[in-house]
Amino acid sequence: MTEEAVLFGRTKSLVGIITDPPQAKRNTELAAFILLNAGIVHRVGPHRLFVKMARHLASMGFVVLRFDHSGIGDSNVREDKLPFEASAISETQEAMNCLSRMRDSKRFVLFGLCSGTLTSFRTACGDLRVVGAVLLNALLKSPETISASTVSYVIDRKIARSYVHSKVFHVQSWLKFLTGEADYRKILRVLYSRISSVFFARKQIGGADNQVVADLRGLFDRGVSLFFIFSEGTGVLEYFRLKLEDAIEKLNPGKWNVEIIRETDHTFTLLRHQEELLQVVGRWASQTLLNCHRQRA
Amino acid sequence: MKDLPRLTQVDIEPFYFGPSATRLFGCYQAPLPGRRRSCGVVLCYPMGHEYIAGHRAYRQLAFRLSQAGFPVLRFDFYGCGDSAGDSGHGHVSRWLEDIATAVAEIRKKTDVAKLCLVGLRLGGSLAMMAGDQRNDIDGIALWDPVVDGKSYIQELISAHQEMLRQYYVQGEAIWTEEEMTEILGFPLTELMLAELSEVNLLAIRSKPANRILVIKSNREAVWNRLREHLHSLTIPCEFQQVPGPQIWKEDMNRVLVPSPILDALVSWLSGVYR
Repeated sequence: MTEEAVLFGRTKSLVGIITDPPQAKRNTELAAFILLNAGIVHRVGPHRLFVKMARHLASMGFVVLRFDHSGIGDSNVREDKLPFEASAISETQEAMNCLSRMRDSKRFVLFGLCSGTLTSFRTACGDLRVVGAVLLNALLKSPETISASTVSYVIDRKIARSYVHSKVFHVQSWLKFLTGEADYRKILRVLYSRISSVFFARKQIGGADNQVVADLRGLFDRGVSLFFIFSEGTGVLEYFRLKLEDAIEKLNPGKWNVEIIRETDHTFTLLRHQEELLQVVGRWASQTLLNCHRQRA
Repeated sequence: MKDLPRLTQVDIEPFYFGPSATRLFGCYQAPLPGRRRSCGVVLCYPMGHEYIAGHRAYRQLAFRLSQAGFPVLRFDFYGCGDSAGDSGHGHVSRWLEDIATAVAEIRKKTDVAKLCLVGLRLGGSLAMMAGDQRNDIDGIALWDPVVDGKSYIQELISAHQEMLRQYYVQGEAIWTEEEMTEILGFPLTELMLAELSEVNLLAIRSKPANRILVIKSNREAVWNRLREHLHSLTIPCEFQQVPGPQIWKEDMNRVLVPSPILDALVSWLSGVYR
């Protein structure tokens, strides 16, 4: 496995690292991975997670490019004042062009965490070269376009679930409860407020947005493989369950993938969760991309 | 905080250097044409989560220094950032070798008479230790350096425990001090732990550089001890109190660039190396 620093893009000012597989595993017919910035963290990713991911995927035979969007990490700020939503897509396409030129890659899988999922999703919708996307904690729309009532509802559900998880299944909590040491009034208050909000507000929240459903349908019609991964302890997972899960299942029954990493946070901080993520993505890549490639061959 | 200068020039050269088995990633920034100074600057990053939090400030600092006429190399230590190696394979003595490699690299890139090392937190401590091992570093600028490795480890442990307290599920005995193997998403090996606990800037006995700047963003008592120690070594040193956020403690999605501190560093270097 080797790594090479590259400057690419219209003004050669986007900084990226290409991780190549070992010589014996190189195959230009395989889809290449592109790892997109998670928020404003530069291309190494939170806790250097993207470096590990790139090396893991390269060891399996995939070419991987991780890069900084303009204004993030080492890449220069754009001069054209293009909004980030548009420039991020354009720069992801420039990353694909870079790998086409430098590694002869023809098909791509986009990998995003948090804000990187939206860029992955929107680029995939508009570029036929994208054959797959790994979406970690994806909303599939800008957070600022989500209504306050939905956010509030999602947070309530998250807290309720966390409460159930951390208290109801813990021996210490039950011991306290049974021996009279618990604050019963507090427990009742929390349960009432959470449960009532969960039951009474759900109808008002509604299902998935029409545009998101249409975009998803377009991707599934093209045969794009989507792999959703969520951290258990996040509101994004609650949002997914509430707004997207049923819609996706209706669109493409049984032919999409979702994985939940238990007891982890938004950026997979603990090492065992990082390792689990590597394994989960590696398994999906093997089953979806390597096996498909072998069957085609 | 002042408006940050826009980074509009295509002036970064990202590249790998050093021995093939332990290649290091670096970004070289050439000085602004017509303003070239005779001193090269090597920026030494802090470690772990502090590296992530400090990256943007380092990028800005490198830009400002290159605008002021300094050739600048900022590089990732072994097992850190884009450099080779797993995160658990880096350790202090390895990182000191990396500074030597980076110093040799900037000398290859640019013909400078003098060299200066700049570092935040552990990056600053490593700069001092590297200077202590060699005699060709003219200046060292430290930004809130780690003075005592043992206190640094305790700080890291506290930060990790605080993170766990806010974790989604607070597992029972998920982590104890005896089983300390990770800090905020990065491995902490026995070798790292042993070498970090040996870091002590008050134990330096030779002259790491001809001049030293210490930027401190807080009023901790340890600065007085460091000042006395450096004076006892007869090193011309300047201590500047520059209020600013402790960027290494910030959440990774709230990356800060403390302009007054960067200004102070650039101003000191520009004043010394005209």
